[in-house]
Amino acid sequence: MNTQTGALLHQAHMTTIEALQSLDELLGNNKKAPAHDDLLGRKLKQLARILKSEVESHFGFEENHLFKVFVEQGETGIVTMLTHEHRSILPLALQVADLAVAAAETGFTDASWSEFKDAGAELVEREIFHIQKEEMGLLAAISAMVDPETDADLAETYRREVG
Amino acid sequence: MMGAKDRLLPPSIPYRFFVAAVAFHLLAWVLLLVGNDGALGFVGGQGMVLAALHLITLGTLAMTAMGAAIQLLPVATRRPLGPVWAIKLMFILYAPGVALFAAGLAHSLAWAQHGGATLCVAGLALFGGLVGANLRKVDDLPGVTRHAWLAVVSLAGLAILGLALVVDFTKGFLPDHMSAAAAHAVLAGYGFMGMLALGFSYVLIPMFVLGPAVPDAVGRRTALLSGLGLLLGAGGALAGQGLVAALGIVLGLAASVVYLRGMGTSLKKRMKKRLEPFFRMVWIAWAVLPLSLLAGLAPALGAPLDPWGSLWGFLLVFGWLLSFVTAILQRIMPFLASMHSSALGGKPALLSHLSPKLPVDIHLGCHGAALVLISVAFMGGWVWPLRLGLLAGLTGAIAFGVYTVEVLRRYRSHMAAAAAAHQQG
Repeated sequence: MNTQTGALLHQAHMTTIEALQSLDELLGNNKKAPAHDDLLGRKLKQLARILKSEVESHFGFEENHLFKVFVEQGETGIVTMLTHEHRSILPLALQVADLAVAAAETGFTDASWSEFKDAGAELVEREIFHIQKEEMGLLAAISAMVDPETDADLAETYRREVG
Repeated sequence: MMGAKDRLLPPSIPYRFFVAAVAFHLLAWVLLLVGNDGALGFVGGQGMVLAALHLITLGTLAMTAMGAAIQLLPVATRRPLGPVWAIKLMFILYAPGVALFAAGLAHSLAWAQHGGATLCVAGLALFGGLVGANLRKVDDLPGVTRHAWLAVVSLAGLAILGLALVVDFTKGFLPDHMSAAAAHAVLAGYGFMGMLALGFSYVLIPMFVLGPAVPDAVGRRTALLSGLGLLLGAGGALAGQGLVAALGIVLGLAASVVYLRGMGTSLKKRMKKRLEPFFRMVWIAWAVLPLSLLAGLAPALGAPLDPWGSLWGFLLVFGWLLSFVTAILQRIMPFLASMHSSALGGKPALLSHLSPKLPVDIHLGCHGAALVLISVAFMGGWVWPLRLGLLAGLTGAIAFGVYTVEVLRRYRSHMAAAAAAHQQG
């Protein structure tokens, strides 16, 4: 990764993928609602935190700062496509995060597990497909199109706004 | 992908190549079954087997490469490929050319062979011209572009030799038809198709598994080793110098080891733990690539063409390349459909909703069985494993055809629903 911004986005992607794979395992291993315990509660809280960070702060940074640099250079295609995907992922991720927070304290009912499972499976697929495109397309585009000074400014903004 | 939306072709453009590739795949297995008497001990000559072989090489492998390249190359290189009318013309020349050429080979019709070969070469020349023009503008993707350049150069060589071989069927002017055919096969299999497979692997595989990019140094090394290997392999075959050809094969083996290690490293460090179903075909392809080269060493060093030449050709075309190409087709058909599926607004279609699992499971089992049974039949000279293998191959091809139709049907169904929702508001 030869840009600071690309490295930060890549690191966030890795964290998100790890959380999504953990979610995928949880869904795959439990046909019915899993028994509630402290470990499950901690996992669900962590999942909710990562998902919210990805779709609120990370997506927000891309749309409010990074994509503007691309649009200024006439690269509207990638911006349109990724923004459109953000619109379909964001409500899904917030739904999964909210269900996870609610279940972290008291566990799942059959109905909430079913809802969590459907939304979670769709989220895993959409988000991984989205990250695939960002990893191979967006990060390469940053290397090709963002000059070092802008890169440093963007990275600083990312650290300040996303953490 | 950078500029992807700007550079996505209308879906009908790449899909016409993919659908044609799948149809020729099916037809090839039918011809092999019809002409199975000539399959055992096949070392060349006109007829059903040579026609089926070219339905796979020109009809499925090159057709897929063209369809994939016109869509993926401009995205990977971030440069446009060429006008859509040129791509349409390429298909209009090439697809009927393949059909006519195969018919000419199957029924020993010189006019059909000449006409079909001319159309095929015209389509391929247009493709080579578009790719070459695109590559001339790219200096930041050595792993991809060096292999693509080797593919373009190999394409020129295989086309010249191919035309000469076709004319030689009636004029008999070549000093050694078999040597020229072997050089043609090396340039077509390892040169044109093989180099495209390696170059695109460096982009596609890390993207699909979320692995780190393969370092440029690996791409440079495989391009250098492959280039030298192709030069010696094809040159040695053409000149009837087995030892030179064998040296080329050793260099090809070295290139494949470097390539597979590069891919292995990316896979080991991947973010996505669970590999998708298409990867099972990739494993088969990667296992057979070095095996095909090892099998090629035998005839190069003087072993009889029956069975070693037949086995080499079969492992190269059906084992390495057809496995790899159908794996990529299996993945990119729903991938592109999903990317197009948000054109009318709404959520993009999920890959899992676009891709039926059963047909690809059947294809995998049948393709694997066909590879084993037919290889065994060649080695032992046995008819029954051959027939069973051909039946398995045909069943697999039917299953793959069902998969393709179903991906397109599901995509259209998604678009119809999206259009209805769009109209409602």
